[in-house]
Amino acid sequence: KDVHWFHYTLHSQVKSESCVLTICDSPVIIWPNRGVYATPEEISPNTLCEDIHQWIQTDEQESAGKRSAKRKAKKVQQCVINLRLMMEATKTGPLSAPILSKTVQKSHFLSTALPIDCVVRTTSTTMNSRLLEALTHQLCEMEKVILQHMKGTTLLVPEPLHFLLPEPKGLVTVVYPAGVSDSQLEAQRKELHQQFELPNDWPYFRRATAYHFPNEPYKDGYLRNPHLVLTHPSLDNGKVYSVQGIYSYRHYMQDHMDDNGWGCAYRSLQTICSWFQQQGYVERAVPTHKEIQQALVDVGDKQASFVGSRQWIGSIEVQAVLNQLLGVTSKIMFVSQGSDLASKGRELANHFLTEGTPIMIGGGVLAHTILGVAWSETTGQIRYLILDPHYTGAEDLQVITDKGWCGWKGPDFWDQTAYYNLCLPQRPKVI
Amino acid sequence: MGRSYIVEDAVEGYLSKLCEQQAGSITGLLIGQSSTQRDFVVTATRTPQKEESAAAAGNSPDKEWVIEHARQVSRMLPGGLSVLGVFIITDTDSKDTLTTVRQLVFAVENLISSEHLWNPADDDVTDCVTLHVNPKTRKTFCRTFDVKDPKSMAKPADWKYQSGVCSSWSMVSCCINVDMLVPLPDNRTGTESMDTSLKEELKVWAHQLESGVCLIDGKKLAEDTELTGGQKRNVRQTYTAQILITPDDQRLTDVVQRCGGSVSIRGAIHSRAYLHSNKPKVKLAEKLLKRDVVSTVATRVQMLLEELLTSEEESKGSSKVKRQTEQFCLPRRIFCPVKVSGPVCVCDYQFSDEGLSEVTDRLKEMLDIDAAEEDLDTRQETPAEITERDVAAVAAVETVEVLEPKRNNYIGVAMASAVALLATAASMLYLNDI
Repeated sequence: KDVHWFHYTLHSQVKSESCVLTICDSPVIIWPNRGVYATPEEISPNTLCEDIHQWIQTDEQESAGKRSAKRKAKKVQQCVINLRLMMEATKTGPLSAPILSKTVQKSHFLSTALPIDCVVRTTSTTMNSRLLEALTHQLCEMEKVILQHMKGTTLLVPEPLHFLLPEPKGLVTVVYPAGVSDSQLEAQRKELHQQFELPNDWPYFRRATAYHFPNEPYKDGYLRNPHLVLTHPSLDNGKVYSVQGIYSYRHYMQDHMDDNGWGCAYRSLQTICSWFQQQGYVERAVPTHKEIQQALVDVGDKQASFVGSRQWIGSIEVQAVLNQLLGVTSKIMFVSQGSDLASKGRELANHFLTEGTPIMIGGGVLAHTILGVAWSETTGQIRYLILDPHYTGAEDLQVITDKGWCGWKGPDFWDQTAYYNLCLPQRPKVI
Repeated sequence: MGRSYIVEDAVEGYLSKLCEQQAGSITGLLIGQSSTQRDFVVTATRTPQKEESAAAAGNSPDKEWVIEHARQVSRMLPGGLSVLGVFIITDTDSKDTLTTVRQLVFAVENLISSEHLWNPADDDVTDCVTLHVNPKTRKTFCRTFDVKDPKSMAKPADWKYQSGVCSSWSMVSCCINVDMLVPLPDNRTGTESMDTSLKEELKVWAHQLESGVCLIDGKKLAEDTELTGGQKRNVRQTYTAQILITPDDQRLTDVVQRCGGSVSIRGAIHSRAYLHSNKPKVKLAEKLLKRDVVSTVATRVQMLLEELLTSEEESKGSSKVKRQTEQFCLPRRIFCPVKVSGPVCVCDYQFSDEGLSEVTDRLKEMLDIDAAEEDLDTRQETPAEITERDVAAVAAVETVEVLEPKRNNYIGVAMASAVALLATAASMLYLNDI
């Protein structure tokens, strides 16, 4: 009964005339419960979302000149309008002066913030009522979560997270109880998978996989999925098979670590580790070069003097470290000469279909990461989507894609006579 | 380069009149508004007579009394008006007077700023003025001190009389909702405790307001926009403000604490700030208005608590049956123009058991203003009324067992009454002990 009153007060506030939505970085303010009231005056409930966009100040508007016409960077740039929920403290007077109420009663005082975070995806319609719906819906969800996790008289703070599901479902918001780890929320995830008719072998609802909005920079500064801005090669009857989920691009010189000339396999391994972290399979941070080396010493693969050295590693070592530090098993694929890689289309395609993890490939004197293949079953034509760890520059998506540090390569990319080992990490089939 | 004080003509007349009184030294306060370029003095008021001082119509001013007067006067000044300094009318030597008056002005400023619940801004003017008028020669000595610097030396300043100094000042105002709920410590639910708890909450509210969005006449204007740009002279501008707030961005730490009760303040207040006519900017309007909002609530709470303390003193010894819930009306704000024709008003607070004559009496005593009841503007706020409905709204509470909260995210609760704000909102909940 008491929970309902609490719920009621919040609901009535959201529905009241004091509820205000301000559009970040713009002078636009909307009173959703007051009919036509908004400022500036040109804005009305019928204003389209795209038109609202022109009111928003962005920093990127200046650098638009540099983009080449071919670049499909626009694919990534979505129209994201950030709003803030506020309350208007002022009212039209005159009103009656305040009353001070004092209650003497032994009690407990609790104060908590309810982190309301709603997202509404809309094409070219207006957003007014949809947002309010989303807000009230979230309040209901939060109440449910509070009640669900109420043990006797303790309750947990509800936290909303957004997850991007495959089209057409799009963005979905789930309210999780704060402080409860993923491992304890498996039942919830099972329910969600059922509700949204999702397969049970890919984690769509782990906390680490929460959706990241395109206009928010990542705090750690690494680029995510730079391959997404590239145009796929078109082969006759060809299909593209690529990495699923999100990874960060790791390369030479990052983290103030000068590994120029020797660290390429380490970086490829780091890229793979970042994939497991970002899909929520592991919580541990991406290992440093030293940690990688130490792991190899720990499994007996290397002598203690290995740690701190600049010695190269290969696919076998990558497999060993993935197992030791992340509990991930990997398959090793061997080709006796680089030219044979052209015939591995089917295996690589299958890997990306079933595992979807980045592949580390070492051979000749170089290590790379394979993020995908474009392969034609009929013609046998093949292209490889390569992420190159030898890059020494800054996290500039433009440079990285223009100069091919992340790009599609042909079969001649490989040293035709050298032998290659590929490490194909297997992903756990859990949610 | 010294400061420049532009002073209302009426002040000259007032000071002259005081000179003719020949009653030893007379002190008083100078009231107006400071800006970076120049300062405006709108009115002056002499220190009221202390009842017991009949014998000691002394030459040295009673510092404590002057400060107390300044404190009371400060409460009666809406946004934009403040005590700018001190005047003294005495034929004592200029050098001695300077020392006296320096002491006074520092003491006054220190007291007034210690009662502020907001943080000083970088663009606040920290100079205060002292005016020494010799009643025999009518010579005036005007000097300023930087009250932020205890070692500050006197700097000469210009003192110029002008007519209609504030006749084209503009005013920005709003009516703002107050809805506060604060816990009281476990075994201390007395008045002093209420005072401390409420002060803390007011500081939080002041901070929220400071970072709140301010709209002027329905629009969000850039800070540096000039408000009365290009307006005709002697045309009064009034602006209506709206303030939008959101709780602090940083996630409040989840708090669970035992408490002995709570105190809440609910209702609305009228707030206003006056702006000089020399191209005032939106930034100034916002700052002055927000400060007025906080100080009018703080002042009323102070006044109420002072009343309660006095009545508690008086009723000590008599066995009082403490009701579980008590309600008190905060006084309502009433305005009175400084000059009959001018836009600038001072204000006073009227308790529900007072009549308007008490207001006019106080205006006379504190600000030396002769106002009739008809001159008072009582339309901005209606008196608070306690209704039965309000009493019932403090819900009955269920008794439930409390588990010790282990982590920050666990909050022991059986929710009894809740007040909630949204947008990364804070909700405050109650649990009753057995």
